[in-house]
Amino acid sequence: MQEYILLMVGAALVNNVILARFLGLCSFMGVTTRVDTAIGMGLATTFCITVSAMGNWAFEQYLLEPYHLGYLRTVTFILMVAASVQFTEMTVRKVSPPLFQMLGIYLPLITTNCAVLGVSLLLVEGEMTFLQAVLFAFASSVGFTLVMVIFAGLRERLALAEVPRLFAGPPIGFVTASLLALAFMGFSGISTN
Amino acid sequence: MGIPNDGLSSEDATDPSQPALVEGTARVVAVEGDVAWLEPEQTTSCGSCASSGLCGAKGIGTIASRLERRRFPLDNRPGLAVGERVVVGVSERALLKASGTAYALPLVVMFGAGAVAQWLAGSDGITMAAMVAGLALGLLAARWGARWLSARGQLAPRFLRRTGPGESCRIDPHSFD
Repeated sequence: MQEYILLMVGAALVNNVILARFLGLCSFMGVTTRVDTAIGMGLATTFCITVSAMGNWAFEQYLLEPYHLGYLRTVTFILMVAASVQFTEMTVRKVSPPLFQMLGIYLPLITTNCAVLGVSLLLVEGEMTFLQAVLFAFASSVGFTLVMVIFAGLRERLALAEVPRLFAGPPIGFVTASLLALAFMGFSGISTN
Repeated sequence: MGIPNDGLSSEDATDPSQPALVEGTARVVAVEGDVAWLEPEQTTSCGSCASSGLCGAKGIGTIASRLERRRFPLDNRPGLAVGERVVVGVSERALLKASGTAYALPLVVMFGAGAVAQWLAGSDGITMAAMVAGLALGLLAARWGARWLSARGQLAPRFLRRTGPGESCRIDPHSFD
């Protein structure tokens, strides 16, 4: 149990997808102008990362590794990511058209989010069991959502603050992101996973 | 999807005591009696609008078929005409509830099923099968949750105002074709 907790803390906080691995930076800067959109995007990404990680783990274990097809890994994973996003979109649309109308906007953005592919590739490096892989993917995406929401909250406050004209807009956003990354470096003492 | 019944309604969108709204721009594409059908405008990762056709930020989500699938009805008490651009809104709380229902609920059920399977069997194959079954069950639960929210009218966007001059981007991508 402790092993799983350490794995999740390490994935969510210590080796945060955005601030330590620098993945998914486009949505980090693009969809964090409001907290509610950041939460929507974060939850959609969490779902897609977890589902695609399950599929990618199965592909790796039952297809790529036994048949020595490692050179097809990136292509296969990209296909799996696109398929999982499409699956999510179709499912949400079938399950509830109103939900699809409200949330469908985030789904196509996830297809091009490198964090989804990055997490799957990290699973392979880690040589994890199925449950470890899924928990790692879930925790990574929770870390992604956490940082998105924190950053969106900071940007909402920055919008009300008096910022020197030279720093207004994206520059102060980048400065804030770097300070947030420094703050997250504090977690590196918890675990080395 | 239920038609929102508060086209120009009781709730004043400018009242600070009302819950915050997430606003979006939509275009009226059809009017059928008292119902106006709207399509949300193209939106991209940069949160832009109609001008995205020019800025190179177009993605998979901007094709016409996708917009058509997201067409939604609105009570036409404001007397909207085809081609008009309007601002519609949903409450932030509704967006959070919708996100939780669509994404968090299936994941919670999936992890619950996976944890039980791992505890009982301890095998990767069985855990995987249990998690897939849990995901399906979670999506079913999400469907019930969405129906419940929808029946209470919480997922329906409502008309706020017609777009004013200078509101959002005013560039028509077709004029550059």
